[in-house]
Amino acid sequence: MKLHPLAWVAWLLSTLVALSVTRNPLYLLIVLLCIAIVGNLSPKSQTRYKLPTALFVLLLVTSCCFNALTVHYGNSVLFRLPEWIPVVGGVITLEAALYGLLNGCVLIGFLLAFQVIMQVITSQELVGLLPPAFYPIAVVVTIALGFVPTTIQQIGKIRDAQAIRGHRLQGWRDWLPLWMPLLIGGLERAFQLAEAMVARGFASNDRPKQIIGDQIALVCGMLLLLAGWFVRLVWGLGGVGIGAMLIGALLIGLTLWRIGKRSPRSHYRTRRWHLNDSIVLLASLLFAGLLLAPLDLLDRRSLYYYPYPELSLPEFQTWLGLCFLCLLTPIVVSLLNNPKEIGS
Amino acid sequence: MTRLVQSSLSIAIYLLASLIGVVAFLYPFFLPVLPAATMNSAHSNDAPLVLSIVVVLCFIALLVEIQGQQLSAKSVALLGVLVAINSLLRFIEVAVPGPGGFSPIFCLIILVGYIYGGRFGFMMGTLTLFVSALITGGVGPWLPYQMFSAGWAGMSAPLCRPLVRLLRAEGKQAELWLLMLFGFLWGMLYGIIMNLWFWPFVSGPADQYWQYGISLWAGIQRYLAFYLATSLLWDIAAACGNALLIAVVGLPTLRALRRFQARFHFHYEPLV
Amino acid sequence: MISFEQVSFSYPQAQKPLLEQVNLEIPEGSFCLVVGASGSGKSTLLRCINGLVPHFSGGRLSGNIRVDGLDPVRESPQVMSRHVGFVFQDPEAQFVVNQVEDEIAFALEHAAIPQQEMRIRVEEVLGLLDLGELRERELHTLSGGQQQRVAIAAALALRPNILVLDEPTSQLDPQSADDVLQALVRLNADLGITIVLAEHRIERVLPFIDHLIAVQVDPITGKRSVIEGEPRELLQQIELVPPLIALGKALAWQPLPLSIKEGLRHSRPLARQLSQLQPPQPLKHSDVPVIKLHKLNSGYGQHTVFEDLDLELWAGEITVLLGRNGVGKSTLLRTIVGLQPIRKGAVEIMGRSTRGKSVAEICQQVGYLPQDPNALLFSDTVRDELLISLANHKITGPAALERADVLLHKLGLVELAEAYPRDLSVGERQRVALAAISVSEPQAFLLDEPTRGLDYVAKERLAELLHTWRSEGKTLLIVTHDVEFAASIADRIVLLGSDGITADGPASEVLGASPLFAPQIARLFPQTGWLTSQQALQHLLAKS
Repeated sequence: MKLHPLAWVAWLLSTLVALSVTRNPLYLLIVLLCIAIVGNLSPKSQTRYKLPTALFVLLLVTSCCFNALTVHYGNSVLFRLPEWIPVVGGVITLEAALYGLLNGCVLIGFLLAFQVIMQVITSQELVGLLPPAFYPIAVVVTIALGFVPTTIQQIGKIRDAQAIRGHRLQGWRDWLPLWMPLLIGGLERAFQLAEAMVARGFASNDRPKQIIGDQIALVCGMLLLLAGWFVRLVWGLGGVGIGAMLIGALLIGLTLWRIGKRSPRSHYRTRRWHLNDSIVLLASLLFAGLLLAPLDLLDRRSLYYYPYPELSLPEFQTWLGLCFLCLLTPIVVSLLNNPKEIGS
Repeated sequence: MTRLVQSSLSIAIYLLASLIGVVAFLYPFFLPVLPAATMNSAHSNDAPLVLSIVVVLCFIALLVEIQGQQLSAKSVALLGVLVAINSLLRFIEVAVPGPGGFSPIFCLIILVGYIYGGRFGFMMGTLTLFVSALITGGVGPWLPYQMFSAGWAGMSAPLCRPLVRLLRAEGKQAELWLLMLFGFLWGMLYGIIMNLWFWPFVSGPADQYWQYGISLWAGIQRYLAFYLATSLLWDIAAACGNALLIAVVGLPTLRALRRFQARFHFHYEPLV
Repeated sequence: MISFEQVSFSYPQAQKPLLEQVNLEIPEGSFCLVVGASGSGKSTLLRCINGLVPHFSGGRLSGNIRVDGLDPVRESPQVMSRHVGFVFQDPEAQFVVNQVEDEIAFALEHAAIPQQEMRIRVEEVLGLLDLGELRERELHTLSGGQQQRVAIAAALALRPNILVLDEPTSQLDPQSADDVLQALVRLNADLGITIVLAEHRIERVLPFIDHLIAVQVDPITGKRSVIEGEPRELLQQIELVPPLIALGKALAWQPLPLSIKEGLRHSRPLARQLSQLQPPQPLKHSDVPVIKLHKLNSGYGQHTVFEDLDLELWAGEITVLLGRNGVGKSTLLRTIVGLQPIRKGAVEIMGRSTRGKSVAEICQQVGYLPQDPNALLFSDTVRDELLISLANHKITGPAALERADVLLHKLGLVELAEAYPRDLSVGERQRVALAAISVSEPQAFLLDEPTRGLDYVAKERLAELLHTWRSEGKTLLIVTHDVEFAASIADRIVLLGSDGITADGPASEVLGASPLFAPQIARLFPQTGWLTSQQALQHLLAKS
């Protein structure tokens, strides 16, 4: 049984939060392992391009080297570069190298998490996730995705057609006779498509401005976001800042909801929400909340691993480590419901 | 009166979105300058994440404003077809590693924005990146920023129009030179923006800075070193590629787009 | 039910009106056919019914239109979409999504019809059009006929009681066209849906229609007129008709036969009176074939389309290649010019093998017109198209301009020299494409389905051009599904089956004997070797 795309998005967000919040190598390792397990064992909807492992190695190495070469701080000195070289000159320390490595791991985590998502959710489901307020844009994306195979066929036809009138592909100017029929053919096609859509009830004119009420709500929302972020950052008023940002986000969300309600649409294919999806959603939200919530009751100091100035062994809080295993929820629910589907 | 109010609100939304975008990209530089007392480890680690959320929300707000209440079948069909063609061009960038960071998609984004207007150009840029990410599998945390930047490229293309009108160069070679220059600029700008996005991830949480006592200027220096080492050449190649592509296909493409403008009833209208 | 009262319409920036004082009355539940040459205003007339004209196209409309009690000019096309479904010529260009069910559901989703109701309607419409097995398929994998049925299904999802179709079968092969037309006949007969159909190939559909509308342009004055009436009466007034009707009119058969079955009632007595006719003349040609195919083998990937094919084509001869769909006719043409790689065997042009030659080189000697000539054209004027072709063959400067002028004359394009090629009619665009491929004055021409989308006038002009080329000694190989056209131009017919060439001989012999490919006149008068109405008339009148 496949998970609802929204549940997967929740999983993705909790993974991103987990990666951003900590630099503790032990926790990072757990996160990467979880992502890898989920990625390998979840039933895939489609295999798109998989990122080559070489890329990950490259990222690790670059990150490590860059940090080591530009941050000259720490007690375990590996070697020394002459001070007069700009930026790079100074002590090259093990701490800096290690920190760079940890950064690289976080980056790899991001890439892997997104890769998993792209493999378990199809393009259509992704478009379906767009909120109703964005219906026109969803139609554009649907048309574009549908038009891609036709365009590929068209490119072949154009190449043949130009070849039979003597066209040879020698210089860079010779791409023009291949490009222009494609563009013009596409524009004509668009006109015919527009006509067919109008004949089936689609709107025949633009209405470029949103309703004033919605515009005001958006402006206020954005102002609150900006203000809240500033307040939190510059004046350190965490509570007020987060509060303002939440209200701003809520305003924008509400505006989207209202716009969506204004032009109702129905859906032919609906994804039903199952118990599994609720479990994954709840687990992800709780986990993210656990990591982010500014509650001083929770002792989360092991998250904030800091190698400077002296390299030290990272702390590990078992309860926290177990919580990180929440990232395995998608696999766990699949296992409980249908063990045969694993690994397909 | 209502029109004036609505226009000013639209301007406000565009400005706010741009401001937040700029702040988002430049924050790693002024972050260390802030009083150290306000920063503790809890905040520093999630700053990029919170900022990403803020930027994404503002992007959504801008997109809602640009989409407007209703898009006609003509706009939707035209956008759909052009986005499909442009996304296939991106395949070339992904499948065939060209010289440096050359991305063939900007040529059409800029030309379409120039002829059909800023709103159209923004949607063209944004959706090209989105659809091409879907078909090439390149969805990642960089995607909202790519969409935002490409959208800006398309939205700012009509800025060339007053200059072209001043020079009375419509349909002539001078128009092409201007667009080539614009393509070059955006090639560099896009590279710089995406680099700025990537910077916080590479440089790590800001708590490295003030412990170490790094200043604003040193921070910028560090960034410039990063940029020079990794992508200056890349971006110059991309910028030159843009200019070259516009030079090759620009004039016939402009003619074709203008010819269809009448059929699709787009008006040469200022941005707001 | 659909009524037009003194309707006049002109497009924006057009000097002359396209429709002038049109008066029409289409009764409810009728199957109505609209005929007329390309550019005569047929399409515009149809688009007035659902409001696309003037809401989508702009322009000035005057007069009164009533469709199902509504005024399409006052109401928007959105409202009209619930009453009038519209199907267009190019099946692929109508689709928004890439999947059959989703495409049908698109209009319903947009109209916010509740989900349960949507499911019922989609099932209904899939059943009506016999699309049950195709429901999960992706649209770009379907054949043209299947795609058009999906388009009809999508239009019917909103339950309109009028269906308007603008040349729905012009891009389709005869089998697919038949499927679509039979589906329309069923919809009209079983559900009483009013059908308004514009078509060029009216032979198949004539027996089923009960109302005929003709849009005519007077050749001398240029005045446009729209006449309507009962088919048998109106056909007497129309010039360009299928061979059966033309013969019936000339021989004053009453009542005018609309189908072969009705025609046989009149022709059988005449046929019995004919004495044995002389056998057809064998074809004369020179010894050296211009194009020779020797044990040719070609295909895609693992799939072999044809193997061990032998064929010889001679100068001054028009050969028409006929065969069922998918048997490899287009592949054969593409293999000759090098677009398809040769797996085994050889292609020789003027005695020399084509192995190792590029497509551009081969096409200097053998001109090839693909099925969709639109992919060729991209310049701003017709003259520029020719200059580009000339530049490809390394001819530039004043010599190029001269050659271009000669070509424009030869193909009758002089008045269109400065026109934008893609705005021209289908027939004119085809001639521009032919000009573009004949700049190097090739010895032979291969044409792939040149009659798609052409009306009778354009087909006659094409036939004239082909005859001119033949008299100049060129070799012509035409692939077509249009048997009447083949009958009017072919010297020789080659039938291609799935096992290779099944027949190869003079046209009168092969076409007369083939049950599948016999033209109308040959079916009326079997074993006479007559293929066109002119031939039949000539002989019959000579007799009497």
